[in-house]
Parts: sequence; structure tokens; C-alpha cells
Amino acid sequence: MNRVHPRPGWGRSARFRKTVRIAALSILIYAVAIIYVSPILYMFLSGFKTEYQAVNPGLIFTPTLETFRKVLSDSSMYQYLRNSLFQVVIGSTICLALGVPAAFVLVFGKFRRKDSSDKIHAWFITTILLPPVAVIIPLYTWYQAFSLNKTPLGLLIAYVGFHVPIVVWMLHSFFSDVPLEIIEASGIDGCTRFQQLVFIAMPLVRTGIISAGLLVAVFIWNEFFLGFNLTGNNTATLPVYMARFREQQGMFIAQLCASSTVAILPAIVVGWMTQKSLVKGLTQGAVKG
Amino acid sequence: MTKKKHDLAFVLPAIAVVGIMTQVPFILTIIYSTLRWNLARPDLPVKFIGFDNYLYFFRVPHFPAIPEFYAIVWQTILITGATLVLCVVTGFMVSILLDNPVPGVNIARTLMLGPFFVMSTASGVIWKSTIFNTTFGWYGVLFKSLGLTPVDLLSYHPVLVIVFLFWWQWMPFFVLVILAGLQGIPVDLSDAMRIDGTNWLQSTFLVKLPLITNHMRVAVMLGLVFVVKEFGLILVTTAGGPGTRSYTLPYAVYMQIFNASNVGRAGALATITVIITLLAVNLLYRSLRRRRAAEA
Repeated sequence: MNRVHPRPGWGRSARFRKTVRIAALSILIYAVAIIYVSPILYMFLSGFKTEYQAVNPGLIFTPTLETFRKVLSDSSMYQYLRNSLFQVVIGSTICLALGVPAAFVLVFGKFRRKDSSDKIHAWFITTILLPPVAVIIPLYTWYQAFSLNKTPLGLLIAYVGFHVPIVVWMLHSFFSDVPLEIIEASGIDGCTRFQQLVFIAMPLVRTGIISAGLLVAVFIWNEFFLGFNLTGNNTATLPVYMARFREQQGMFIAQLCASSTVAILPAIVVGWMTQKSLVKGLTQGAVKG
Repeated sequence: MTKKKHDLAFVLPAIAVVGIMTQVPFILTIIYSTLRWNLARPDLPVKFIGFDNYLYFFRVPHFPAIPEFYAIVWQTILITGATLVLCVVTGFMVSILLDNPVPGVNIARTLMLGPFFVMSTASGVIWKSTIFNTTFGWYGVLFKSLGLTPVDLLSYHPVLVIVFLFWWQWMPFFVLVILAGLQGIPVDLSDAMRIDGTNWLQSTFLVKLPLITNHMRVAVMLGLVFVVKEFGLILVTTAGGPGTRSYTLPYAVYMQIFNASNVGRAGALATITVIITLLAVNLLYRSLRRRRAAEA
């Protein structure tokens, strides 16, 4: 109990001041965060309102699952949801299947020309910079001509083409962290490139691969421009469904909020899981060079 | 030799898909931009007309009156620039705030990141109906309860609303990147600052800020790429209106092809969009490399 205070008579008030400072900071931080996301929180709450309750903005009401039930049993929303899930699951799987080996050999592979891997890597990154409007005109005409907008595979190819570079970009920095010696040693031991990738490199960058896949899944889930222009009635995805609410002037707010919750929540949850790797993948290549 | 061929096989499928879906259509877009090709006029044959599609936009026929094209370019630059500046300034402030190790700060950080993962069409319709709506939204209800008349922000201040919504959606991304930079600052340094008696202002703006400029540039560069191509949010909120007051270049391309069915002119606009984007990105990237070279 009788500890020697380095600064007697001063310690307690300093500690007190520190506590007050931290309490004030915490309140400020929580307030900023909650105000910032309040539209999402309010949307989430309003999904539990009836249409009648939702007409007047308010936070106090008796929650009901009625609106959610109505939205989810709506066969048109169900169809958009199914299309979105198809694009996300198949699309991000194919992106990984193409992007992981590509990123791997761009880091460890040997090409006939030494700078080839750098050039190919740079090329992948420049395609990320290309705005989708730069490609939409020919794609739109192709999709009309070959009825590709009537099959989910059409949009799928477009999504793969646009998201493989993101996988390559993110995983390039992850593979770069794998020591070259491990790969070389396994090569001397007789591993083929494929074995090196599957049995040695992939387990080491497992987190990176999972995050890249999840991030691409979120991007595909949220993508609107291609999904809007390259699909027909049967193949359109959730962001297109959400855009249909643009013409309604506050008539179905509860329904809007419930459908938005279904559309937004999975992306936010999955997105949160990727946040650490997202920072690493996005900044490492660019900040450290 | 066999091994080298083998390595190329790992990356070829990816190159093929990406090439076919992005490079080939882009080259075709440039070719289309030199054609007179209107889908709504099948009677006019498709014909090579050189730079006429570009001239159509650039030309200033009645001099003092500036054609719509320049207004759209200006709006694109204004919306993108204002969004990025707002994102950098507020993103830095919020990052400084979230850099404090108070209990539960991770929850606040995670919450803050939410809007970044919200699909733009959903965030657009939510803001439009539950907040900006003059009858049913919070804005309308609050203004009326204060005895004020709520004006329809979407038609009176469309650019402001769009900048605000872009900011809301993209600021979390800036916080994510800038906060990563702040947390990468070594602890020794903050200890040294404390011993040297730097005050909060000095340590924030004279020590921390210069240390994270590269993170900021990266955030701006990626933000630029993503904000320029944003389309869904504009479509669901203002639909480019009133008139063309909140058109951006991508939106104008969309209208040229899907409303005017003019493939040639849409191609020219798309090419101009890409050139402007790449110029801006290039400028930022150069400043990033110059800085890195100066540090080395």
C-alpha cells in the first residue's frame, strides 16, 4: 500500500486528469462513429417498422418482422439475390483460381526476359485504373448481339476480367513476403512450380488469399455499372434491384430499409473481416514501392 | 527452358481474360470514337470521320456561350476534387482521433468503416428517402419542426448533395489507409516527442503529417480512380439533373449510348474520360515517386 510516489502530491491529480481526458476522448470517438453511420443504423431499425410506422421518422416503435417477411418472400427480390450470390460465389472463386497462380509466378517465376514479370504486374495494375465506361460500349454491343445479357455467364466473364487484377495486386504484396529461399529449396528438392504454389506458397499466404477472395466478393456484390448495363430482366443483380427504389418518393420506406439491410449487411460483415489485409494489400505495393 | 514456358502458363489465363474484357474493348472504344455510328439512325452508314466526334464536344460555336461539354468536364473535376479534398482533410482528422488508444476504439474504427462497404445504389436511395426527402425524411421533418421550409436539396444543390454522399462513402477508406500510416509511426518517436515537450499541434502537423504523406497520396490516388467512375449514386439520387447540372463524364457517356444511341460520340466521351483520369493519376503517381526518390 505504501508505494513511493515519484511525484508526491501530484500523482493523483495527474492520473485523474488522464482519466477525464480518456473518458472525454472516448465519448467524442463513439459519438463521431455513431453519427457517421447513423443512416445505416436508422435503415437497419426502420426495416423492423411497418410501412405505416415508417412514414414518420422516429426511433421509438414496436418492432415487427412483418416487413422483412414481405421483402424476403417477394419472388423478384429473391431472384436478384440469387443472381448476386451466383456472381459473388462463382466470380470470386474464378478470380482466385486465375489470380493466385498469376501473382505467384509474377513474384517467383522466371521469364525469358528478366523484366517481363514487372511489366506484366504493372499492366495488371493499369487495368485497375481503367474506368468501366472505357469498355462499356463494345461490351454492350457484344452482349446485345450474342444475347450474353440473358445468361448469368455473360456478367460473370466481365466481373472476372475486372477483378482478377485486384487479386493479383493484393496477393503480389503477400507473396513478396514469402522468403525466396523456401521456394528455391523446394525447387531443388524436386517440387514442380505447381507443387511449390499449392503445397508451399499458398499455405503461407492463406490469410491473404482468403481476404483477397472476400474483398473481390464484396466488390462484385456491390458492383452496379456493369451489372446494370450488361444484364437483362432475369440476370440483374441486387444493386440493380436497389436502384429501382429511386423513383419511389418515400412511399415504401420500410420495404426499402428492409431490402437495403439484406443488400448491405453481408457486404459490411464480410468487409470488416478483410479490413486488415485490405490495408496491407492496398498500401504496401504503393507506399513502399 | 521448359520451366520458363511453364511459368508463363500460370499467368496466361489471367492475362487472356483481363485482356479480352478490358484491353480489347478499350481499343475498340477508341476506334468507335472515330466513326459516325448512331444506332438510332440505321439509315446512315457507319463511316470513318476522324476527330469529328471529339470536335463536336470541343467546338465552341457561339463563342460567349460555353457548350455543355465543358460544364460537364468542370462538374466532374469539381465533384471529384471536392470529394477528395474533403476526404483527405476529414479523413486525417478522424484518423488522428481514432489513433487514440481508448477502450473499445476498435469497435469505433470498425463502425466507421461501414459506409465504404455499402453498395452505392443502396446508400443513394437510403439517403434520398429517409433523410433528404422533404416530406418523410429526417431533414424535412426537422426543418419543419424548426419552422423552416425545407427546400429539395437534390434539385437545388445537386452537386453539393453528390459531393456529400461521395464523401460519406469514401471517407472511411481514407481513414483506413491514413490510420494504417499513423499506426506505423514508431513508438520511440512519440516518446521522443513527449520528452522534447512538443505540444499536440506540433506533433500532429509538424511530425505526424509529413510522415504519412505517402499514405495520403495512395489514398487520394485510389480514391480518384474509384470516385471518377462512380455512377450508381448519381443515377439513383439526382439522375444527373436537374438538366445536366450533376452530370459527370461517366454519366454523360452512359446517356450518349443508352439515350442518344450515339456510339461514336459515346466513344469519344469515354476516351476523353480515360485520358483525363490517367493524366490525373499520372500526376499523382509522379509526385509519389519524386517524394520517394527524395527520401532515398
